[in-house]
Amino acid sequence: MPGNHLSNDEFFTQLVGLFESRQKKGHGSVLLTQKRLTQGESSATTSSAKAADDPLWDLHPPHPVPIIIRASNGKSKERRPDKVKLSTVVQPGDLDAFYTRYAEVCKSGMQALKKRDRSKRKKDKAKKKKAGGAGTDAEKKA
Amino acid sequence: MVNLPTSQEWLEQSSQLLQARPTTTRITTKYTIPNPTAKSKSKKQRRPPVTAAASSDPSYSAAALPPLRALLTLKTYDPDSGACIKYQTDKAAEVGRLVASLGRLGRSMAAMPAIEDAPVSDAPQAEEIPPSKAEPIEGKQQAQGGGGGASKRKKKGKK
Repeated sequence: MPGNHLSNDEFFTQLVGLFESRQKKGHGSVLLTQKRLTQGESSATTSSAKAADDPLWDLHPPHPVPIIIRASNGKSKERRPDKVKLSTVVQPGDLDAFYTRYAEVCKSGMQALKKRDRSKRKKDKAKKKKAGGAGTDAEKKA
Repeated sequence: MVNLPTSQEWLEQSSQLLQARPTTTRITTKYTIPNPTAKSKSKKQRRPPVTAAASSDPSYSAAALPPLRALLTLKTYDPDSGACIKYQTDKAAEVGRLVASLGRLGRSMAAMPAIEDAPVSDAPQAEEIPPSKAEPIEGKQQAQGGGGGASKRKKKGKK
């Protein structure tokens, strides 16, 4: 489906919407995939020629290659009509900016994960301690 | 299929797989909010059955039934070799770090030079691990001597 890719900005806008729709519904999934872009502009002919010459050609490509990010709501089979599919191509130079924003969107979108919030977990102190410990651990690492 | 206990190990192994097969390897991030009404397919997410004794004690049953939490699963998969590396978490605090890991792996997918302390030189270090297990002190010193291993060791020491 080349040609259907969204711009990075549009992708983020729709990804935020996808997270929100899951959150509203109370259940469901969001799938995000990243992969080296192997189809499109320059590759189809050159890559097969390279592959014939050297099976390990892809280990050291001459130029940085773009990567493709896909997002979906994981609906398939009988629910195929409800499926949401987003994709965007990130150019090598845009990677850092993209991932910075990606992190923000993911952090705000994944609200149903276990939080470090202590006030809510006063009921069982053992668990609270555990969560707190893991939290500070993560902080140190970050 | 391998389920790894820490995100750091997941990052290291994914990075190695990606170096070996940069074109076919994909990384899937799955964020799932379980449906509380539907029967879960996986045993892990199923609520424990309420026994007669537990149901008579309201405080126990409340503690035994934690609210269903969303899960985040990271999966690195290479369809050519069939290698599959997974890491699963339910902690919101990890999201930022995990996306940063995705960013690093994304750079190596794009064949961009890795940023400063990216684990590029970790591959040879992996072979030094077995001797370090046999002789912990000596092995550790040896690994720290090798430049690339320093960052890896540091992180392990912090835990």
